[in-house]
Amino acid sequence: MVHALQRAGQRLRSGGSLISIRPHETQLPLVSIITPSRRIPVARLPTPGFDTRQSAADAALERVVAEGRFALRGIRNHRYRSLLENPSQLRTYLELIIPPRPRFPPGRRARLLQLWRSRPRGSRIEIAEWIVVTALRRR
Amino acid sequence: MTAPLDISAYPPDGMEVRLIDRFTTLKGRRILEVGCGDGRLTFQYAPTARQVLAIDPDRLSIEDALDEQAALGVSNIDFRVGSIEQLPARGAPFDVALFSWSL
Repeated sequence: MVHALQRAGQRLRSGGSLISIRPHETQLPLVSIITPSRRIPVARLPTPGFDTRQSAADAALERVVAEGRFALRGIRNHRYRSLLENPSQLRTYLELIIPPRPRFPPGRRARLLQLWRSRPRGSRIEIAEWIVVTALRRR
Repeated sequence: MTAPLDISAYPPDGMEVRLIDRFTTLKGRRILEVGCGDGRLTFQYAPTARQVLAIDPDRLSIEDALDEQAALGVSNIDFRVGSIEQLPARGAPFDVALFSWSL
């Protein structure tokens, strides 16, 4: 990852920007059921091996700043939400994520289906995800 | 009749570009996008960029991007199969390097 950033730096003009958009390291995707009157959180979805990859990405960004190649311009976290009509769509949603995919912790998928079967009319499934945008400036 | 499903695991169109705009504009800039995939994000900002080099190691994704490019008639994007490490160290400088979900 460091080498990729260094190579990008070689092709950037002085003062140019390097932008990284990636999933947030610690804010795991959150699945909830949204009824007409309330939000019921069901599960946060961990991704196997994800922590290691994200830590490596963060370390690489920190290293090129420490080396003096780049200056940190800023970091922003942002949440976005997707509303789904049923558990089948949730399955499709998760399958669209580039592997490794998030997984339900033990028992939480069953809990989702249990809540879904007793849902009030007009309910939907919400999945909230967080991304982090890091901006560096080439020195 | 039910409308076709439009499920995406990525942020809504425009959101990432608005976040980038908080740090730097992409308008009129020469942009290197690393890990462009099928051009999902590329096509959102390219119409206002000056020139885009978008690379991804997945050939099928690049083929999808090229099909979309032909359909949209966008001429300022150069999609290539490859990785950032394979990019020559020398060449015309870019204003912005964008790692979109690829770091």
